[in-house]
Amino acid sequence: MSNRRRALCIFIYVLPLLVFLFSLYLGPFHIPLRGLFKTLLSPLFPSFKQGLSEGYISIVFGVRLPRLLLAMMVGAALSVSGASLQALFKNPLVNEYILGISSGAAFGAALSIVFLGQHFPRQISAFAFAVAAVLAVLAVAKKSDSPIVSLLLTGVIVSAFFSALLALAEFFASPYALQGLFSWLMGDLSMAGGSELAISFPLMGIGIVGLILLRWRMNVLSMSDEEARSMGVNIGKEKFLVIFLTTLITSAATAVAGIIGWVGLIIPHLIRMMVGVDNRRVIPLSAALGASYLLLADDLARSLASFEVPVGIFTSIIGIPFFIFLLRKSRKIWL
Amino acid sequence: MSVRIKDLTFSYRNFSLHVQNLQFEGAKITAIVGPNGAGKTTLLKCICAILPAPKGSLFIDGRDIIAMPEEERAKLMAYVPQEHTAAFNYTIQDFVLMGRAAYISLFSTPSSADVQIAHEALEYVGLRHYASRPYFQLSSGERRLVLIARALAQKSDILILDEPTSFLDPKHETELLELAKKLAIEKKKTILVTLHNLDMAVKYSDAMVFMKKGGVVAQGKPDDILTETLLENVYEIKMTIIRYDGRKLIVK
Repeated sequence: MSNRRRALCIFIYVLPLLVFLFSLYLGPFHIPLRGLFKTLLSPLFPSFKQGLSEGYISIVFGVRLPRLLLAMMVGAALSVSGASLQALFKNPLVNEYILGISSGAAFGAALSIVFLGQHFPRQISAFAFAVAAVLAVLAVAKKSDSPIVSLLLTGVIVSAFFSALLALAEFFASPYALQGLFSWLMGDLSMAGGSELAISFPLMGIGIVGLILLRWRMNVLSMSDEEARSMGVNIGKEKFLVIFLTTLITSAATAVAGIIGWVGLIIPHLIRMMVGVDNRRVIPLSAALGASYLLLADDLARSLASFEVPVGIFTSIIGIPFFIFLLRKSRKIWL
Repeated sequence: MSVRIKDLTFSYRNFSLHVQNLQFEGAKITAIVGPNGAGKTTLLKCICAILPAPKGSLFIDGRDIIAMPEEERAKLMAYVPQEHTAAFNYTIQDFVLMGRAAYISLFSTPSSADVQIAHEALEYVGLRHYASRPYFQLSSGERRLVLIARALAQKSDILILDEPTSFLDPKHETELLELAKKLAIEKKKTILVTLHNLDMAVKYSDAMVFMKKGGVVAQGKPDDILTETLLENVYEIKMTIIRYDGRKLIVK
């Protein structure tokens, strides 16, 4: 690896921390930098608490910190699952949305909110329907002679089906539930309460760590099934593991943050353009860049207007033109 | 190491393969020849367990190949596909490293020893200086060599090459078969290779297997079994065999 590339990698790994500190500073209630650092370090150094406003502590630890951690976790989760699915399906255009996982999870979560209430953990139903969606896609796509085309096509169809079911769930929702549902569906990090975070955080954590550990194996899985099998890979078992982990983190992220599009496609692409296609680097770097990206998008979402704008709108509005720009600008083959 | 096939059957749509008895010996090149659709590639894929052959039909030194776990099988034999089409443009080094998959546990990454083995494999095929180049930059001849290097990194005694010389010019074809010969002699590899060029098969193989319509028609040393009748029976066209420089040449 060249020195320039190495420096770039280090920068991407440090980026989440920089963006995190910047985002912590950002907010409608102004906290001076000194006060911010004192507040942050106060659990470690109790003496810092002296002279610190109670408001600072409750805003930093009660409001901003959980929100920022959620944005980072969801950004990392979506990017890692996108990168992993792209390797597994040997196609750089695949992601959790195209495979219908997100729509399945969104329908499952909406169903839970509408019929089981806000307090029942919606991750269970989100995961169940995400699994149903991915199984449906794989089962239909398997029957075809050109697996990749049919995979993408089936993904679109299954997504459309779950979107229709979702519309049906919305139709039956009470006006009160509907408003929450509406904002959450567009991708909103402000809706999640403490108990939902408590369930989704460990699920996303396990999935992200698991997929990062599998990073080199993802290279081998990105070869044709015949090649991978002849190199000693138990295809069935390992594919199942990757699909299970990506479905787990996507549904856990969707359950708390709604549908946040384009992250899982753009972030791994950017990383591949910068450092090459080796998944040993692509997967962990995607986690870091994805975390920073969603954090920045969420900064925009909460500071651009006097009210909260769903962050999913920004990830799409920023993401899509940026993606087109990258495709046109880059003459190099990086796929 | 020897590979033995006993009553192997495999059916796919309207094609069926049936091989009653076949044996490949160690440190030798066996060329599998026959017309298109004779089942050569299917046979190779069955041997590698890429296609599901029934248990009890394939043995390496008496051990049932089909019943073995994948990684154990991969340590005994490596498969070199006809071509590799990938979505991702890996560097040659990363590509060859993948041959180490059977030795690396699911949740870990290649060690420096694995990298060393990949470099040695590249050195052997003469492409060590290409390690950091992207795969798509290589010519088709070089790609074949990289595929072979990846199989060498697998450190298996048996090497299975599926039409390694198709689309290669005579120079690259010769170089590739010379490499196969060197591997059989120097590294004591048991090599199974499907070929279309009969003259090359006669020149480079220690044994030949003639296939037609999913079955084996003849097997043995090229010099012993090669006759005009056999060729006409297998290929359904007239060919003439002449002798030149002590070896049989086929004139179509």
